[in-house]
Amino acid sequence: MSLRVSRLFAWIWTRGILLIAGIITLIPFFWLLASSFKSNEEFFRSTFLPVEGGRIVWERLTTDPFKRLFQELNFSNSLTNSVFLSSVTGVVATLCCAMGGYSLAKFRFKGRGFCTALVLAAVLIPAPLIIAPTYQLLYRMDLLDSFAGLILPALAPAFGVFLFRQAIVSGVPNDLLEAARIDGAGEWRTFVTVVLPLVRPMIGTFLMVTFLAMWNNFIAPQVVLQDPSKFPLSVAVAELRRGYYNDYGLQMAGTIVSILPVMALFLVMQKDFVSGLTSGAVKA
Amino acid sequence: MREQRDRLAGFLPEWLPPGAAIVGALAVLSTCVLLAGAARATPNEKSMWTFARPHYLMYEPRVEAWNKSGKTPFDLRLLSLPAMERRMMAAFLGDVPSADVLEVERRGVSRTFGGPVESVGFYDLTDRLEKEGLLEEINAPSFSPWTTRGRIFGLPHDVHPVMLGYRADLVEAAGIDVSKIETWEDFARVMKPLMADTDHDGKPDRYLLNMWETNQDHLEVLLLQAGGGFFDENEKPTLDSAINVHILATIVTWLAGPNRIAADAPNFTAAGNKLKADGYVVASFFPDWMGDIWKHEIPSLSGKMKLMPLPAWERGGRRTSVWGGTMLGIPKTAVKSPKDFETLWSFCKELYISDQFMRDLYREGGIVTPVKKYWTDPIFDEPNAYFSGQPAGRLYIDLAPAVPMRNSSPYNTFAMYRVVDALVQMTEEARATGRYDMQALEARARVFLGEAQRQVENVLKRNVFLESSEGGAS
Repeated sequence: MSLRVSRLFAWIWTRGILLIAGIITLIPFFWLLASSFKSNEEFFRSTFLPVEGGRIVWERLTTDPFKRLFQELNFSNSLTNSVFLSSVTGVVATLCCAMGGYSLAKFRFKGRGFCTALVLAAVLIPAPLIIAPTYQLLYRMDLLDSFAGLILPALAPAFGVFLFRQAIVSGVPNDLLEAARIDGAGEWRTFVTVVLPLVRPMIGTFLMVTFLAMWNNFIAPQVVLQDPSKFPLSVAVAELRRGYYNDYGLQMAGTIVSILPVMALFLVMQKDFVSGLTSGAVKA
Repeated sequence: MREQRDRLAGFLPEWLPPGAAIVGALAVLSTCVLLAGAARATPNEKSMWTFARPHYLMYEPRVEAWNKSGKTPFDLRLLSLPAMERRMMAAFLGDVPSADVLEVERRGVSRTFGGPVESVGFYDLTDRLEKEGLLEEINAPSFSPWTTRGRIFGLPHDVHPVMLGYRADLVEAAGIDVSKIETWEDFARVMKPLMADTDHDGKPDRYLLNMWETNQDHLEVLLLQAGGGFFDENEKPTLDSAINVHILATIVTWLAGPNRIAADAPNFTAAGNKLKADGYVVASFFPDWMGDIWKHEIPSLSGKMKLMPLPAWERGGRRTSVWGGTMLGIPKTAVKSPKDFETLWSFCKELYISDQFMRDLYREGGIVTPVKKYWTDPIFDEPNAYFSGQPAGRLYIDLAPAVPMRNSSPYNTFAMYRVVDALVQMTEEARATGRYDMQALEARARVFLGEAQRQVENVLKRNVFLESSEGGAS
């Protein structure tokens, strides 16, 4: 077999495997998409698209589930709530974690070791364990049923602080900080102009992770928020499945609405996300 | 794309990735949108949470009428069951207010009974129920899930007797007379012709009973019907009782082996509904609330279904069981004065103990009221089109007094899953060894249930409140 033929064979083999894997991965999404355009009756009649006599019967598909979501169930409100909660938490938490990580990495102060240990210990506490104390605390602070009750506890997650601490320890040389200070930069300016650019990949990654975590956060909004007009998409979609009655088309449409924005965001941010994940993997 | 990205990046500070800038812009934009629409309605003075949409729809006009009558106004809110339970438990454990009235499902309530009886988060209604004669007026078994250590913490919503719903079209086409069925043995024998393999694929075309080994609800229905269960009246675990051993061994023969009669068509799922509509299973367990669900989820079976009492475990035995249950409870934190309690109590009674509610409950949910004086109402004799014209309400009411008592132990769910584990292990073992004789199965059931019993006892030992209480939890 010539080299050219064997390369062609390898090319076809690799693409073939990837194509099959891609199709398998996309089947559930296609099913989800097709189901979101179906009435409950149609949902049980056809698995994917309605087919009769070998042709697709487009007339049996309907946009009613989406219309109902936005007209009757006010999903646009939930969409705004999700965007607000995720973006505000993402931005502010990234900034707070970067500042926290910077102080633990580069400042020498009394109790620094204790604070670092505390941050590490906090990573180990499972979230469900603190639902009741958090609920009580939020009640005492009059933050129940408010967005602040969700955003404030998420502003400086221990995982983020530790992540930035590690990134700054390994990626920001002390000499550079001293040079900035000698040039007359204050602490804030040093942080913004020297530290943040050096941990730029981590900013993108952590922002994405925090955004997604808040977007998909289900238990906390379900417990803290009580007014349905404040529900984010994660809760609103879950509320579509009520007890024992199911409108499957509506549920699938709700799921589509809840995953599309994050998919779009991931496409925009994937470069930052991947570079953040791999930063430090190879020593320059 | 890359060019546009680079152009965008030129406007941004060096440290800010373009994606982060987009998220930042979204933050500003969504904040503006929320601030613009920030008009907030003033909540009513009192609030009630419920977890079931049918209940919510039923209560909505009644709460509206209550609010218009000049009484203390209430807000009615619909939450998902997990949300309700998480908030309720978080509020009870933190001793902070939740809603003023909570409509809670049975398993959620039992979780609140784990501590000292005086620390239960719900207001103790025992004395008031007794004083107003409601203890006699309401079917006694309906109180059992809300009772711990002799005290009652909820107003019952239902009775939930269980019957068997079967495909009358298939059964009658096969010339089978269900009146000849008295016991589960009769059921398997009389219905057996329906399991023929007409397509010759080596498997029956359909199975007789909708049941599978991991379904804890079905298992509990059968155990309670037989007089078994997980705890006795003194809150002592009885997982390895002789009754449980016999029932588990019998169920294994239904689920696997040469005499298999059961298969799974899961409840409340699209796949299960399709299987039921296709006639994959002939009969399913039908508490009174199930008919309404089938009516909405599987309308194609209207006029094809009928109800019959559960076959008994022995001749002359109990022909029903119980599945599910809901109560109205008043959290202690909502009662700051006697006047508060009176307001909340009269609201609860307006919702649950009125003749109008009894009718709404049956018409809209197919559910039979626990208030016995209403059982003679002609509404229960109306023919039900879904059940081929049978008077479904009357059939359930005839069985209501025989509904078994239940236990409200906070460890019920834990115990139930241990018994489910035993059933799964037994079924797997029987499939592997091919041994389906009752003697051998009962011997294995004793071993597995004995282990389950030990596990539950170990967990119970850690709870000093229940361990030391007189008369157990219920």
